[in-house]
Amino acid sequence: MRAVWHAMRDELLAVFADSQVRSILLVSLAIYAVIYPLPYRAELLRDVPVVLIDQDRTTTSADLVRRVDASEAVAISTVARDMAQAIRLVQERSAYGVLLIPEGFERNLLRGRQSPVAVYADASYFLMYQRVMQGAAVPIRQMGAEVEAGRLMATGAGPEVARAQVSPANQVEVALFNPAAGYATYVLPAAFVLILQQTILMGLALTATRRRRGTDHPVWLVLGRMVAWVAIYAVLLPIYLIVLPALYGLPNLGHVVDVLAIGLPFVLAAGLLAQCVASVLRSAAVVQVVLLAVGLPFFFLSGFAWPVEAIPPLINILAQFVPSTPAIDGLVRVTQMGARLPDLASTLWHLWALTGTLGLAAILIEALQAKPESVLIHQQQIDEMGT
Amino acid sequence: MLREFSLLLHRPVLLGLVVLLPVLMIALLTSIFRAGIPTGMAVAVVDLDRSDLSRSLTRMLDAAPEVRVTHQVLSLSEARALIVSGAVRGAVWLPAHLERDITRGERPEIVTFYDNQHMSAGSLVARGARGAIDTALAGLRVSIREGQGEAPMQAQVAVQPIPLQAHALFNPAFDYVHFLLAALVPTILQIIAAAGTAYAISLDFGPGRNPYDLVRRAGGLLPAMVGKILPYTVVFLLILGLSDVALYGWLDVPLRGSLPLMAAGAVLFVLASQLIGALAFVLTRNMGTAASIIAVITAPAFGFMGLGFPREAMAPFAQVWGALIPGTWYVQLRIDQSLRATPVEISVWPVLWLALIALGLAALVLAQLARLRRNLETAA
Repeated sequence: MRAVWHAMRDELLAVFADSQVRSILLVSLAIYAVIYPLPYRAELLRDVPVVLIDQDRTTTSADLVRRVDASEAVAISTVARDMAQAIRLVQERSAYGVLLIPEGFERNLLRGRQSPVAVYADASYFLMYQRVMQGAAVPIRQMGAEVEAGRLMATGAGPEVARAQVSPANQVEVALFNPAAGYATYVLPAAFVLILQQTILMGLALTATRRRRGTDHPVWLVLGRMVAWVAIYAVLLPIYLIVLPALYGLPNLGHVVDVLAIGLPFVLAAGLLAQCVASVLRSAAVVQVVLLAVGLPFFFLSGFAWPVEAIPPLINILAQFVPSTPAIDGLVRVTQMGARLPDLASTLWHLWALTGTLGLAAILIEALQAKPESVLIHQQQIDEMGT
Repeated sequence: MLREFSLLLHRPVLLGLVVLLPVLMIALLTSIFRAGIPTGMAVAVVDLDRSDLSRSLTRMLDAAPEVRVTHQVLSLSEARALIVSGAVRGAVWLPAHLERDITRGERPEIVTFYDNQHMSAGSLVARGARGAIDTALAGLRVSIREGQGEAPMQAQVAVQPIPLQAHALFNPAFDYVHFLLAALVPTILQIIAAAGTAYAISLDFGPGRNPYDLVRRAGGLLPAMVGKILPYTVVFLLILGLSDVALYGWLDVPLRGSLPLMAAGAVLFVLASQLIGALAFVLTRNMGTAASIIAVITAPAFGFMGLGFPREAMAPFAQVWGALIPGTWYVQLRIDQSLRATPVEISVWPVLWLALIALGLAALVLAQLARLRRNLETAA
């Protein structure tokens, strides 16, 4: 027990006495909390600029243009003469779509023929493409339905019958958990978990590279350090995953207890992984460079932004060894989707299994490194020369 | 410079950081996205009608490439629990008496629920379900008209008076892998170029080393610094070049632009990224603090590039911050020149911005070096 207590005290001292570790765990965490969300503060794309080419120039085409312009998603920004001019505007990024109404649009409709219109949307930006298509498709479809119903009524059908024939069922789409499709609401809850993990990894791995070898039994050493991390993150994790999202106005459907229940094995697994990283990479500078480089790949490995269904199976197995993979999924489901722990039993098992495995690895590393003092000093000299 | 190359070969750690690490990360990212467009999102069907129509709707849903029906449940709460736990990405609700109500012209509701917290997966479900239900309903409308005595062709035309011809500009295959990789590779390289350069400089100029030796041999602080930076420029450009050969050759990403412009952009981008690292180090002369500065600038850089949420929609401050990061312009150049076939006179601007950023950073590094030299001289 005393050994655990000593190890905990040593770890806390090591973390808070080292100005660099302190600044990573606290200052960097705070700076990231400001910088990461910056691009997404606007949340929604409204009135995406679209170029109009109206070759018909009739009241019907003007009506269609008005309807498209009135949609929330897009706005007609420029009128172009031809396709070449319109494409150039899109290439300059002053517009993201083109609405082309061909000559004869009204005439064809009046004669009861099919009268197509074309929409070109910039598909190099997924979100822009979606918004342009949405903004154009809904009014065009609506106008089409009115035309069809009008024709049916002209042949003698009653308005109700015509409506039912044009659209036999009412198709409703309900976007759950993020109804407005806000981008900050989408990406930040996951990003905050990853930032937390990366600062844990970096800070605790640095501490590990600078630590003197302990003399107590490895099990007590590792256990004591784990207690120290829990003490630190009992404060930081709720601030980062509950208070901070609230400050950004993100919805929270989760219960604090559930967040903490996932947070505990997550912090432990990340801290233990940091011990393994430190023992492999050894030098503080190398630890920093490597951990910086893996942040973004870890995010995409987690299966949040890029659906896990599309990640090759082998890579996905690899991803399961990174604590952020189950933690992002579990925490997002708790805070954004209102999942309770019974829904997430597999996530909890996953995180505790990681904690167990990495814990054994950390104890093993500690045992191997507990060498006689003289060998140790020699080893340190070699390490320093190596860097 | 030659000294630096031989140094590189004799220092496995340095070699690992500037060669092995970027190559591994680029390979990892490429393999994550290699499968291409995500398909087959799991959905549940709540079929309360159990009619021929509801069964054929379910079949059509399952046939849509975006989704596959994995669960049949009997209530919305069951479907919701499946979505919350992650077993499915969405659910389609077919109400009781669906077929009867449609025949009677009562326009019943068909509801698609999708998990929009996982927006990329959720929007696939919405798109797939919308397409399948649209097709099913259109088939129904055509058969009603045929029942009224219209010819099949005529009925097909009549149900869609204003067809929308949707065209995906620059990306007809609708493949985002190109775009993601075109941006992710430079993002990773920017991080490693900045941090790796700072690390390489720290080995000679850091605390506990004797910088005088190197400075004397190189004939001054400036040549010593240039000799420290340029060898790695070559290394990073080689890595970038090789990953591009893989991307454009092996993965068949189209290349529709000016190669010289891309090359100029690549050189300026790598230099600017390295200069971020150099500046961070000469300002702090401590690898730890320098790494923290580099982290703050380069780690969140991906979001500012506007591939997910477009730059034009960001708040002004976020746009300015993004404009100061070399990767933002280089990624824009790559996308313009590889996929959008942007005319050179438009695409010259990101290259000019890159040059400006590189020059600005170089000037700052030089100013700080001049200060250090004065300190060295007064100390001597």
